[in-house]
Amino acid sequence: MYEFLHYQVRDAMTADPIAISPHTKLREVEALFEAHDFNGVPVVDDQWHLHGILTKFDLLKAFCFDAHALIPHYDEIMEQTAETVMTRTPVSVEPQLPLSRLLQKLIEMRTKSLPVVENGRLVGIIAREDVLKALRRAAIQHEIPAHEELRP
Amino acid sequence: MTTLLYTHPACLEHDTGFGHPECPARLTAILNVLKTTPFAALEWRDAPQATDEQLTRIHTLAHVERLFARIPRHGHYAIDGDTVISPQSGEAALRSAGAVCAAVEAILNGEANNAFCAIRPPGHHAESHQAMGFCLFNNAAIGAAHARQIGGLERVAVIDFDVHHGNGTQAAFEHDPGYLYISTHQAHIYPGTGRRDERGVGNIVNIPLMANSGAAELRQVWQQDIEPALRQFQPQLILISAGFDAHYLDPLAGLNFSEDDYAWLTRHILAVAQDCCEGRVVSMLEGGYNLPALAASVAAHVKALMEIHRAAQRSLIKDILERQKAKRNA
Repeated sequence: MYEFLHYQVRDAMTADPIAISPHTKLREVEALFEAHDFNGVPVVDDQWHLHGILTKFDLLKAFCFDAHALIPHYDEIMEQTAETVMTRTPVSVEPQLPLSRLLQKLIEMRTKSLPVVENGRLVGIIAREDVLKALRRAAIQHEIPAHEELRP
Repeated sequence: MTTLLYTHPACLEHDTGFGHPECPARLTAILNVLKTTPFAALEWRDAPQATDEQLTRIHTLAHVERLFARIPRHGHYAIDGDTVISPQSGEAALRSAGAVCAAVEAILNGEANNAFCAIRPPGHHAESHQAMGFCLFNNAAIGAAHARQIGGLERVAVIDFDVHHGNGTQAAFEHDPGYLYISTHQAHIYPGTGRRDERGVGNIVNIPLMANSGAAELRQVWQQDIEPALRQFQPQLILISAGFDAHYLDPLAGLNFSEDDYAWLTRHILAVAQDCCEGRVVSMLEGGYNLPALAASVAAHVKALMEIHRAAQRSLIKDILERQKAKRNA
């Protein structure tokens, strides 16, 4: 497990992740969620600056009862763009953040994945599954059992 | 007068096993920075070995003997799940405690205003009868007891800004009002001690910080807790248990201090030392496990220790110039 302490977010993240533009239609976002096992997808501009994150919760949020209509209109809502429902100023992490701290952060925020940003640009996504995989990898490394004196 | 730097090659030989975070590379990273030009004015000294007399002011003789009996001739021996020793660990531990004792003597002799001990193993978790938490001997407590004994000091303060609570130092001091122990640490992590209501005989000041606390919280507790307690105690010597694992990139905890925060805190401790005890400060390495962050933080800390002399020199020169000017005018 010592090895885990050396891991940084960059060692475990998915680099160059799929991202959408603020103008992507919610219909396309839903198709993306159907096709991939994403919990959320980052929203970036042409320069890959992070503008927000759009999770399945954000998509559901579009269907909440509100003042616009008595009953939400499916087709109308699906024509809206990502920027209308995305979480703006999302929490992001740096690639050099120790993975042990990322784990803590996921738990505190009860979130499933976080965008990874370097110099203002999106460089990756890190999710619970990535951390679990890293823990498994770290546990395989050599460890000293308690009270064992190694022979010369 | 310059800042003294105590270290010893034996501290690099304390091998904790493959991948262990408390590794020799920590000290190498620190010494490499302290060998660069900005630190040329440091006066390097070899740390002597602590004597049984120095160790047993804090530890039971049984603890010292058991530790040496457990040191393996080859390989490693795990005292507990965190604390691993190897053939050179005994000498490293003696040099670490010895560094602090020698630094205390030098500072009390007026050989310098302050000193930094670049040592490992660290010390603040070690209790009178047991090694734990990477720590074998309690370097800070041994140094403080040495100052009381050889310097005849009545009041010695230890400030511990390692991210973990120094249970060993607290346990060594909690019945003796001649010591003050002040600790900032992250709440609810190892070793689990350090609640605010643990107050000793009024001489223990515990300041647990919630995860993600950083610059703002540090400044707040300095003002509310640390500085008032220090000034009220009027220490004759200040020791610093300088762990740098509250850094925002450290993998073992969750506080968010930066190099600048360590420099800020060091300058403020020195300012109080200047008022209470002619600037007498002995600082020693405890934790800090992200190597670049550790090296940068130690650099900021030691730079602040060295700067106080430049400031004092500047004011001395200013004094002399003003006196000369007054003489000319007379």
